[in-house]
Amino acid sequence: MKAGRVVWTALRARPKALARIAAWSVVEVAPAFLIGLAIARAIDDGFAAGRVDVGLAWLAALGTAWLLAAFAARQVILAVAAVAEPFRDDLLTLAVRGALCEGPQDAPASAVARINLQVELARDAFAAVVTVVRGFAFTAAGAVLGLVALHPALAVLVLPPFVLGAVLFTISLPVLYHRQRAYLEADERTAQTLVSVTGGLRDVTACGAEERVQAMVGRRIAAQARSAGRLAGMTALRTAALGVGAWAPVVLILVGGPWVAGGTLGAGVIVGALAYVTQSLAPALGGLVEGVGVSGVRLFASLDRILHTTSPSSEHPASLEGPAALEGPAGEARPAADDSVALAFTGVSFSYGEHADPVVQDLDLEVRDGEHLAIVGPSGAGKSTLAALAAGLLRPGAGTVTVAGVPAHLADPATRVLIPQEAYAFRGSLHENLAYLSDAPPERILAAAREVGADELIERLGGLDADLDPGGLSAGERQLIALVRAHLAEAGLVILDEATCHLDPAAEARAEQAFVRRGGTLIVVAHRLTSARRAARVLLLDGSRASMGTHEELVAAAPLYADLVGHWESTREEAQLS
Amino acid sequence: MRSGDRLVLDAVRRSGPWPLVLAFTGIAGAAAELALPYLIGRTIDGQDRTTWLTAAVGAVAVIMICECLTVWTRGVSGAAAAARMRGALMRRVLGVGPGMTRRFGQGDLVTRAGLNAEELGGAPDAAVSVITLLVPTVGGLVALTLIDPRLTLTLAAGLVAIMFVLRAFMRASGEIAAAYQETQGEIATRLVDALAGARTIAAARTEEREVRRVLTPLPTLRTHGLALWRATAGAGVRAGIMVPVLEVAVLAVGGYLLATRQITVGDLYAAARYAVLGAALSGALGFVARLARARSAADRVAEVLDEREPETGAATLPAGDGTVEFRAVSAGGLEIGDLVLPGGSVTAVVGRSGAGKSSLAALAGRLTDPDHGTVSLDGVDLRELSPSALRQAVAYAFERPVLLGESVEEAIEFGRASAGAAEGAARAARADGFLSRLPQGFLTPLERAPMSGGERQRVGLARAFAQGGRFLVLDDATSGLDTLTEQQVGEALTGELGGRTRLVVTHRAATAARADRVIWLEGGRVRGHAPHASLWKDPGYRAVFEHAGVPS
Repeated sequence: MKAGRVVWTALRARPKALARIAAWSVVEVAPAFLIGLAIARAIDDGFAAGRVDVGLAWLAALGTAWLLAAFAARQVILAVAAVAEPFRDDLLTLAVRGALCEGPQDAPASAVARINLQVELARDAFAAVVTVVRGFAFTAAGAVLGLVALHPALAVLVLPPFVLGAVLFTISLPVLYHRQRAYLEADERTAQTLVSVTGGLRDVTACGAEERVQAMVGRRIAAQARSAGRLAGMTALRTAALGVGAWAPVVLILVGGPWVAGGTLGAGVIVGALAYVTQSLAPALGGLVEGVGVSGVRLFASLDRILHTTSPSSEHPASLEGPAALEGPAGEARPAADDSVALAFTGVSFSYGEHADPVVQDLDLEVRDGEHLAIVGPSGAGKSTLAALAAGLLRPGAGTVTVAGVPAHLADPATRVLIPQEAYAFRGSLHENLAYLSDAPPERILAAAREVGADELIERLGGLDADLDPGGLSAGERQLIALVRAHLAEAGLVILDEATCHLDPAAEARAEQAFVRRGGTLIVVAHRLTSARRAARVLLLDGSRASMGTHEELVAAAPLYADLVGHWESTREEAQLS
Repeated sequence: MRSGDRLVLDAVRRSGPWPLVLAFTGIAGAAAELALPYLIGRTIDGQDRTTWLTAAVGAVAVIMICECLTVWTRGVSGAAAAARMRGALMRRVLGVGPGMTRRFGQGDLVTRAGLNAEELGGAPDAAVSVITLLVPTVGGLVALTLIDPRLTLTLAAGLVAIMFVLRAFMRASGEIAAAYQETQGEIATRLVDALAGARTIAAARTEEREVRRVLTPLPTLRTHGLALWRATAGAGVRAGIMVPVLEVAVLAVGGYLLATRQITVGDLYAAARYAVLGAALSGALGFVARLARARSAADRVAEVLDEREPETGAATLPAGDGTVEFRAVSAGGLEIGDLVLPGGSVTAVVGRSGAGKSSLAALAGRLTDPDHGTVSLDGVDLRELSPSALRQAVAYAFERPVLLGESVEEAIEFGRASAGAAEGAARAARADGFLSRLPQGFLTPLERAPMSGGERQRVGLARAFAQGGRFLVLDDATSGLDTLTEQQVGEALTGELGGRTRLVVTHRAATAARADRVIWLEGGRVRGHAPHASLWKDPGYRAVFEHAGVPS
């Protein structure tokens, strides 16, 4: 089991902390060993014999053991923390890396943010499991030693039912695990349903779907109640196992005690033996049952969820590439066949799933060094997919995509830069944000900002050293930041995927012209037709068909393009009515 | 009586025999637990040994059986009661409709239907638990006093100390926990930032750098985490040491009494056990708090159940072309007065944000009711229509539709009585292209069909188209479409889906220009109702559209 390995690795990686836990545990269980012995001696040799001083001495010893144990318990908790905190750090790192490097790119951010909660649950459960399993082992050992010291025959009375209880619990554990797990899942599904229904009340009412939704919610609620009922049955069995382990020894001591050792045992020894059972063994078993039965299940459920979220599942297109899929350094890739071709698509087809219609079909495209190409087409025609293929984010199902002769997914990321529609800005200084893809000095950054038209924004935000709060920026301002960043990059190929869509037409034109002046190859996925007019060549996408030409050629030859242009012209005229 | 309390009583009454079973097993178990130390004590002392031993074994059996039964009953009846409560609550939420989220926040509603319903379901259990915990604790103290009052005094002094320590702990750990959660929140925010830039990061292959950036606060988190552990450890140990110390103290005092022949060995044993039972008093007080929580949970559930559902009629619609009439309508700061949307016409609604566009759209198809006046469709007041007649006639599409259903197909047919219109509707909404490219086409489960805002909008449009009827309200439902696609969708509506009356909230001049008439809203009032071309002469009208393109 993958989750099991994670726990095992976390424990094995910190042998020193484990040794500390073990050492302090020995001190912590001193009372568990001493309690029956001290009480028995205090009564039989002390109080019952009329020797109060002897009785008090034994009780003082027990009290001292408790005080030491209390201190040891604190040290144990801290030693467990020394394992649990790094465990949390590891999990969080795993989760964050998974979300950023391998996770589905379109996963809703809120779902991924919930990882935080799962990590927290896993940490608490991990600490609880380590604590109780350890506590059970040490306490049981201490109490058994004490019983043997008190009288070996008592151990024979106590141990069989105690072990039987523990075994019964262990046998029930797999079923318990599954029911607890099923309950947690049903609970979560109900919660999700409640969230989506309350979030979509307007839509439910507008669709008149109240009854349909009520039926669905009812099914979820009933399923949850059923699994809670099944879990309750199992919990009752668990309680029974605990009862056997904790109470049967009490009965056996009471029944068999007077016959042990031919009836020579003092009343104090019986009281002491009972103390071992009720104050050491029963709580330890109870802790184990509770800890493993609840925290253990929670630990594995959370771990499974974290590991599931963070590893690429087979349901996602195999072509979604993270850096993990990089096969060897870019330098070893085969050299360019023709230096002057910046980007080439040869017979490229791509679809998002086996049964899905292709987004791109049998596309051939060659973009020369220094060329300026615009890609246009209606919503959903595959423009962004094409950009992602060129950037090596997606791999074609058939055919090849090469950047300067190197397969796109193997090309050195420094050779091309993709700026998507949703511009990336993060908490940090403005300088960090702008120099994200380069190590440009401040004066070059400011020069690029002037070129792109972001100088006013930088001034308004308080200069390069100002702290950036992405939440306080408009979508257009975020795009300006991403554009400056791309302008500074060393890359020879720049792909702007609707990267200016939140700018007004004048600002868009200024930014695009800045990239033309910058040199290198420029591919613009156009949001407005003006972008296409500025380009030397235009690629028109329509469903899985593609046509290529200059603006004028396409106006003449492609009805869809003429439609797009005509449409745009009419809206512009209207805007000029004033 | 508070309506919350009535709800608790109701929950108990509707639970059938379970609360009684719970009360019986709880009390019987507690009584046996209380009797056991005394019975064992007498057994140890040895007079009438067989009788006392039999009684002790019997008490153990009662304890075990009652414990198992209590746990089982608690689980089964609590779950059933919570499910009943949750079902009733959601029925009311759905009955009231969107008005419910205006009254309660979404998260608040989920808490009430989730956690609060659960707590309410556990109310009978909490009440019984208080009794079953109070019996041994209070009984233990009484029994201890009967053995010797000096033992009780010894215990009482210690108990006060326990409360004191627990109180001090709550204060200290609160602040550390807040700092810890704040750092967690910072990591989450950084992660969400980075996820929003996933494409940029993937293209630049800067994943490792981003992981480091997101995890920058990790050392701080660990510092706070360890402080939290230290606080927990310290307080836990202080609380944990109390019971043993109390027990040793009681044993010492009891030992002296034994040595002076005032009590027997059996008494001493019983005294030690009763001391431990009595020391659990603080835990029992925790259960009283749980009962208080169940009561306040009941109040919160009752608040939702007390919301009134909008009244509906039973009228059906006569044949008609879909003429919509507002008569002297006003609602929550919005003054509409009289308006007519002729059957089959297209009316655009424009205005700055906050002008009341969405409120007007909500009134037009009875997502809300007006405070005054009437809205009618083909001469019938919307309030008199039966719910099914209303929803078969009026369909809505939104700027941010919430898609519900198992698959894409189900989401599109969500508003229909019968299946089988998804593909045609999707074609009309220009959503068939990307939907057929999903891994399993229209049958792709919704959660496996990641959609951009514009794609989601088109599925929302398809859902409205599939719902059929004679009146269509598009509340900014094409804002994410490029203008060509928007026009194509408009043509499909005029052509194949033919002649439905349309009310279109929009920010775009082009969309307003294509409408037959435009309702221009400003500050909650109708500033103009005329064709776009004639309104365009007014600079105030043109200013409405000016902010659409610039960085905003």
